[in-house]
Amino acid sequence: MSDPRSRKVAVVADSLLETALDELAHEGFGIIQLPPGGLDRKTTAAWLEQTAEHVAEFRRNDYEVVLVDDGVHTSGLMAALAVLGVGPLPRYDTLPGLS
Amino acid sequence: MKRVAFIAHCLLNQNAKVEGGAKRPGMWEPVIELLRERGYVIRQMPCPELAFGGARRFWGVREQFDTPLYRRHCRRLAKLVATVIEQHTADGDDVVLIGVDSSPTMGIDFTPSAPHWAGKPDIAEDDSTLVPGDGIFIEELEAELAERGLPLPRSTGIRHWFADYDPAEELRRLESLLA
Repeated sequence: MSDPRSRKVAVVADSLLETALDELAHEGFGIIQLPPGGLDRKTTAAWLEQTAEHVAEFRRNDYEVVLVDDGVHTSGLMAALAVLGVGPLPRYDTLPGLS
Repeated sequence: MKRVAFIAHCLLNQNAKVEGGAKRPGMWEPVIELLRERGYVIRQMPCPELAFGGARRFWGVREQFDTPLYRRHCRRLAKLVATVIEQHTADGDDVVLIGVDSSPTMGIDFTPSAPHWAGKPDIAEDDSTLVPGDGIFIEELEAELAERGLPLPRSTGIRHWFADYDPAEELRRLESLLA
């Protein structure tokens, strides 16, 4: 059975999703959306923890995973990834305003 | 008031599908484009199956996933989603939910069933059937919302894996949901 998946995943800040969607779709990326702002600290940490679990599983299976980040959750995400033995993600910074 | 759509993870990330299950390289554009056209804020839900069974998990049906441990895993994720839904509801936002009707986890109106599936993964033909009912995560989300005094948002499921999939019917159903 054919499966056209790109094996490319972008972890995208909520604030940048709308800006980044067209380019990431054009480049064939699937997206993992980072949590929105305004959540309490405990919920945000739990959301980043499950995001890291997704990322770790993709990395474990040799998918390309990049980060489109606004800085809001950078340290929290990196910490959650480190718990799972995953290092910092390369940044996807060719979008206007992100470089 | 914002319009907010909580969508199954794989609609924005086809890489989360079981191997053989992706329809597109990255995302299921028909839904994403419609939501953007209609001015909806997108809220992607986690993929319980990816986190639990991994990227190389086998295909499965509801009977295989319906275990206490998997339900606890789904409930853990449902609490996060419910917290965000609760926040939007408190703000007076209009919230909808879009699942995947061929999924044992994210089904809204239909979910796959095959009570005889077990053991060696060598089923030559997919003889599961789509039966009316929710997926496991959707059930846990509904239960979590009920504990908070909230109903499940109005919802529908994508049916692109149905043998008789009709894009026009799906578009009408989505437009009705988003109206």
